[in-house]
Amino acid sequence: MTQSEMSRAKRHLETTKKMKEMLPRFFMRMMERKFSNEPVAWCMVGIPPELLKAFDLLFEWPENFGTMCASRQVAPYFIEVAENDGYSPELCSYVTNTMGYCRLFKEKGEAPEESPLPGGMGTPAMLLGSGFVCEPRWKWFQSIATRFFDIPVYSTDPLAPPWDVDPHDPRIEEHYLTLLREDLAGQIEFMEKQTGKKLDLDNLREIMERSHQALTYWRDTLALRRAIPSPMGSTDYFHAIIPQMYLVGDEDAVVFYREMYEEVRDRVERKMGVVEDEKYRLIWFGLPPWFNMGIFNYLESLGAVVAYESTYNVGDYFEVDLSDPLEAIVRRTWQRALKMHEYGSETMPELCNPAVFGGFSGSSLLEELVDQYSLNGALMHLTRSCRAVSFGEVHTKNRLAKINVPSLIFESDMADPRLWSDAQIKTRLHAFLETMDKAKQGGQINEL
Amino acid sequence: MNFNSHIFGKTTFNTTENEKLIRHLKKETQKPVIGYLCCFAPPEIIAAAGAIPYRISGHPGSDTSKADAYVEPYGCTYVRSILARAAEGQLDFLDGLVISHSCDMVQRLYGIWTYYHPLNFSYLFNVPHQLTPWAKDFFKRELGFFREKLEQFTGQQVTTGALNETIGLYNKNRSLVRQIYELRKAAPPPVEGSEAFEILMAGGVLPADQYRTFLESALKNFQQRKPDPHQGPRIMIWGSIMDSPILFEVIEKAGGKVVCDDTCIGFRTWEKDVPQTADPYDGLTEHYFVNFQCPRTDRGPSVKRFNYLLERARAYRVDGVVGYIISFCDPHKFDYPDLRDYLKKEGLPLLLIDDNYSFEPLEALKTRLEAFMEMRK
Repeated sequence: MTQSEMSRAKRHLETTKKMKEMLPRFFMRMMERKFSNEPVAWCMVGIPPELLKAFDLLFEWPENFGTMCASRQVAPYFIEVAENDGYSPELCSYVTNTMGYCRLFKEKGEAPEESPLPGGMGTPAMLLGSGFVCEPRWKWFQSIATRFFDIPVYSTDPLAPPWDVDPHDPRIEEHYLTLLREDLAGQIEFMEKQTGKKLDLDNLREIMERSHQALTYWRDTLALRRAIPSPMGSTDYFHAIIPQMYLVGDEDAVVFYREMYEEVRDRVERKMGVVEDEKYRLIWFGLPPWFNMGIFNYLESLGAVVAYESTYNVGDYFEVDLSDPLEAIVRRTWQRALKMHEYGSETMPELCNPAVFGGFSGSSLLEELVDQYSLNGALMHLTRSCRAVSFGEVHTKNRLAKINVPSLIFESDMADPRLWSDAQIKTRLHAFLETMDKAKQGGQINEL
Repeated sequence: MNFNSHIFGKTTFNTTENEKLIRHLKKETQKPVIGYLCCFAPPEIIAAAGAIPYRISGHPGSDTSKADAYVEPYGCTYVRSILARAAEGQLDFLDGLVISHSCDMVQRLYGIWTYYHPLNFSYLFNVPHQLTPWAKDFFKRELGFFREKLEQFTGQQVTTGALNETIGLYNKNRSLVRQIYELRKAAPPPVEGSEAFEILMAGGVLPADQYRTFLESALKNFQQRKPDPHQGPRIMIWGSIMDSPILFEVIEKAGGKVVCDDTCIGFRTWEKDVPQTADPYDGLTEHYFVNFQCPRTDRGPSVKRFNYLLERARAYRVDGVVGYIISFCDPHKFDYPDLRDYLKKEGLPLLLIDDNYSFEPLEALKTRLEAFMEMRK
């Protein structure tokens, strides 16, 4: 492995620091139920998470497990096990991390002791996948169910129209909504069969109400980061996504995001920034290097704060009528597609459904963000094993150059630290900050 | 139109020659040329709308630096190569472009290509991933939207009669290709793998009626041919897109006989007919969505999804499989461990060639294939 200075992130918000107490309690609750042999569903981001709660299912997120393995520096071990099994190093490192875990689980008959959680991800009883975000996800759960666990799989297929098709054409809308509705019905039928429970729509509606309440606080918190100095940085941002994954639809999650909102609002009022002397305000593209989240603190030590991240950004697509919760789920997915069209999805390709990526119909969102968040530079993490997120960064860089915003594309990975080169990346970051200084003084942007 | 002599005077169908021919065809017929990548959007509809469907292909190992201005280095080298060619103006004979949403890379190629180098006509053919009834319905509706867009562009309506007729022509060609493949079951086969490949490359450029004449002539020729008595290991090629004969030729030089394949320009396209259904769009859905064996489509878990490959290997008495995967080709890379183990259980070794769409270094490739052929003798 390349020698580097991997470091854990330092958080700034009291609310996110408190997660350290809150999440273990949550994981322990899950653990107890796992040991009582309740079925566990392994899930992908992109499925409607409220359904998990509505069916009272135990669930795990292999992608999130990948981030935990990365931050605890055990991902390389799992990844190498998978590579020895024939999985290419080019494949998504969340996937190869999981495949290594599964291989060891099969060999030992229990979760490998290197797992960051006691009991690891448990034994899956079903797989709930989603083609949302990328193509490899279709193959991932197919391979798990072929190779390691003989269990049923259901994957959702949230297709959306490509960039040059008018999504407001009623025939196009019906074309896609029909697919989304029938796909959701298929998923519910699958979950009812696997759990032996009937979906209670009233219960689902209440869960969605709480879930959307939490999302509203989350979205409003992010808007507060327009303030100068920015009251919140990436180390808090990337950790704060976790409650919405594990506590979705819980009152605990609503409380968490409300408290975060209040804390950040308070910081804005007191002009309390992440960085004392804020010199650079950045937008971050791509997945973070979970094994080295300290890189954000390193940037902060140089006066640079990330005020906006394209990845996991919540947007406001979730504002839908909840009276019919199933239609609400469909409309929520559809609204996301509409937003992509409205703005042009080049600014957040990782949030797009696969077919939407080519939404180069405009760069108004980029321009809006630069203006609203007073951004003066973009950092783009080119993740070798996740092309779904990083493919398009060169294009985005081209678009930003047109409005004289410099960008740095640097290569590494989200979970595999073998691709991190500490000295090289830090040298490039320093050079980039100098470029930003020149751009701020009206100089031309040089290619980096 | 008088280009029969032009065709039969030729001996080669490859990217360079196909592009010369398509320019010639375009000039002669005054019809628009619509290029396509991947095999989900039916060329039958393009032809029935009065345009010439053209299968876009590349040059392995060619300079892709022009693509660097638009896309990252970590991406399918095939896609980068095609984009570089478009950026250099090498594909300026195209009036239109159809890209199917098969994998991430190719559908993103669509967005970037059409943004930087717009064409008069372009369409991203959206394709669901699983074979559910509602996914099939979506695919069928997508065929309808595709037809409408084509009609608007060419000004020619696609009548059911014309479409059925075109499907019939294409099916006849499928049947002729299958007859050529059938000959390859003999030991030794009278057709070299590289020859069969070239015949399929011709199918990407020739209009269906001309291709039929070409195939009939080729079939007759092969039927009358005395096979080369040399008996080498019988090889199946499986994997990513392959639009050059290099791998076939290297295997042949190493003493092997490529007797069948499972690639998208190869047998995947020709294996079955489009079912003749009352509504032709039902038959097209069955063929291009359900039957087309691209690993990007989810056919559920278990190794049963490879049964067709084993059946083919047995029918062609295959001794070994050469897997060819282009860098960053996720759908094939995911299938490799499962397929390798499945074939191994059946006594069939799978040699993996992981290539960046260049076949370089060629010497190393030769050495590996020679060792594999030696082992399979």
